[in-house]
Amino acid sequence: MPLKSVYNAPWFVKVVFVISLFVVFFIAGIAYKHITDLSKSQSLVVHTYKVNVELEQILSYLKDAETGQRGFIITRDSLLLQPYLKSRNNLNNSIAELKVLIQDNQEQQKNLRELSIAIDQRLDNFELASSYIFNKPNNAAQFDKVFLLGNDYMQDIRNKLNEMIALENGLLEERQASYRSTLKFTPVFLYGFVIIVLIFMYLAYAKINTNLEELRLQNHQLNVFKESTKQSEIINKHGSWRWNVDEDSFHFSDNLFRLLGEEPNAFEHTIENFMHFVHPEDVKKLSDSIERMRHEKDLPFVTYRVIHNDGSIHYLKAYGKSTIDRDGKTQLLGTTTDVTEDIAHYNTLELRNQELELNNKELAAFNYVASHDLQEPLRKIQTFLSRLKEKESDRFSESGKTYMARIDVAAGRMRALIDDLLQYSRTNKADAVLKSSNINTLISDAQQDLAEAIVEHDAQITVANMPKMLVVPFQIQQLFANLLNNSLKYRAKERAVIISIEYVLIAKSEDERIASGHFAQYHKISFTDNGIGFEQQYAEKIFTLFSRLHNKDEYSGTGIGLSICKKITDNHAGFIFAKAAPDQGATFEIFLPKRQ
Amino acid sequence: MATDLTHIILADDDEDDRLFFTDAFEELKMSTAVTTYKDGVYLMDYLNHPDATLPHILFLDLNMPRKSGMECLKEIKANKRFDHIAIAIYSTSASDEDIENTFVQGANIYIKKPSDFGKLKKVLSNVVTTNWQYHTNGLNRDQFLLKL
Repeated sequence: MPLKSVYNAPWFVKVVFVISLFVVFFIAGIAYKHITDLSKSQSLVVHTYKVNVELEQILSYLKDAETGQRGFIITRDSLLLQPYLKSRNNLNNSIAELKVLIQDNQEQQKNLRELSIAIDQRLDNFELASSYIFNKPNNAAQFDKVFLLGNDYMQDIRNKLNEMIALENGLLEERQASYRSTLKFTPVFLYGFVIIVLIFMYLAYAKINTNLEELRLQNHQLNVFKESTKQSEIINKHGSWRWNVDEDSFHFSDNLFRLLGEEPNAFEHTIENFMHFVHPEDVKKLSDSIERMRHEKDLPFVTYRVIHNDGSIHYLKAYGKSTIDRDGKTQLLGTTTDVTEDIAHYNTLELRNQELELNNKELAAFNYVASHDLQEPLRKIQTFLSRLKEKESDRFSESGKTYMARIDVAAGRMRALIDDLLQYSRTNKADAVLKSSNINTLISDAQQDLAEAIVEHDAQITVANMPKMLVVPFQIQQLFANLLNNSLKYRAKERAVIISIEYVLIAKSEDERIASGHFAQYHKISFTDNGIGFEQQYAEKIFTLFSRLHNKDEYSGTGIGLSICKKITDNHAGFIFAKAAPDQGATFEIFLPKRQ
Repeated sequence: MATDLTHIILADDDEDDRLFFTDAFEELKMSTAVTTYKDGVYLMDYLNHPDATLPHILFLDLNMPRKSGMECLKEIKANKRFDHIAIAIYSTSASDEDIENTFVQGANIYIKKPSDFGKLKKVLSNVVTTNWQYHTNGLNRDQFLLKL
């Protein structure tokens, strides 16, 4: 719709205004011309009538002269010749007048010249007729002839005059006709233009009206927005302020007052009044940053304290940014937020961090005690025991030998516990450095660690090909060593050990158990054995520290090995799950994130 | 006769460990002369004496009062006179950190004290019969910790 787009264009009203202005000028021009034409036509009429009047006047003078002469002829009283004597002058005046009136009309001038000659002839005829009365009164036949000739002359003059009047009237008619034709179309034009202008003006009016409506709507929306901003300021505990730098005037939002514990507009919007609430120790800091703002026109985050009238201290954080308003003046727009709670949280967090750090230090100290100080006496007990067995066992009674064997087993168990605990505490996230590692190599290294037991139980281990992964190598090796150790330990007595390690790359969405993971793809490694398995209900319990499913007389576990596996997968942001049934073997599923 | 003996010195503050050590060599019946010192200060006093007979193999406990095994190791490695002494670290713990540090400082082998007398004898006989001249040539990180 091109018309509609023109109507909606922002320049539409301006264009309509300019067009209307031109049309009004045009109409004024037409009207001016019209009036000028009218007055010209009127002066033409006046001119024609003047000419006609003058011509009639001439005829009238001639008639007067004729009447006077006839009276004189009848009465022979020369007094009656007076009008004839005067008429000559009058005629001359009239002809001179006419000459001026018709000076721009060649034809009438010619007519006038002929008329003038005819008048002269007539006047000469008067002379002649009169001279017959004075000088030759008896020559009646000659007189009659002259007298009758005078009548003919008179008839000629009449004809000529009528001809001139007719010509003048014709001219008038002709000119008036031409004006009439011009004037006949002007009102139609004017009317048409006025209608067009009215249409334009109506469109402009409609347009202005729509614009006004839109403006009203936008104003309404602006009001709604303003209201919601006010509410959001209250909920989020922040206030806003404007600083017209050039005029040094401030405006504070309602909630800025509330941040100071005051009702909106409780005091005049000035920086001095605001500063009154600022904590004395922070006044300089804030003043400095305001001063800096004045020069650099940009405020970095500044945190300061304010004291409410009830004495409570609150932390505020402010940020400002300079803008140039419509009049080219610099204006700083700022936001101030109450961060008291954040700072309280931060302080609590800091305290907890310190406590944690202390705990970690204590734990490290404990590790040292466990690794060194506990091992040393145990090692001596075991060494002395081995010496005793070697050198003195002959002298022991049977029960003494049994006790010694029991001591040996208990000491061995204590050693296993200390070693496993140490390993568990060493599996720390802190010293974990991810390296691109060949998992197959790590698994074969783990097999190497357990080579003796693997050979002893004739275990068959098949391992799928795996891609390189970003892992902590020694931890992953430990993980597989523990799983292998677990499978060898909980083997079914009546069959050879068979272990298979499968691999597949899956998307997180493919397994709901790993839905909480943070990576898109996971390496899934399934470790399956054919051992004694366990009840599925214990699948989670086996990963908790010191948890054992069997009596320690039957199986020699410490309850730490699988906890270490769980800790290692946790360290890698991965998962480990167990699936098993009694005497059906167990499957451990390990999920390690695919890192870029 | 005396020149054929392999001279061995142990520096260890633990009396029991010194006893196990000497007992083990006694039972091994190898031609060895074993001397023990109860801390690093006594050891270094002896070694620094100009007339001292320098040992072929020196066993160093790490955790000793007054002067630790690590300090002794540094002093010995800084002195040209002791270049021919093979140094075995002989410690209760085998933390990665200790193994790494002693390896870097130039010890020849790291022995974690066994908890079985039979194993102890085996370890010590292995160490004594090793040709250290040959062993140091192919020195690497994996062979450093003695595994049995």
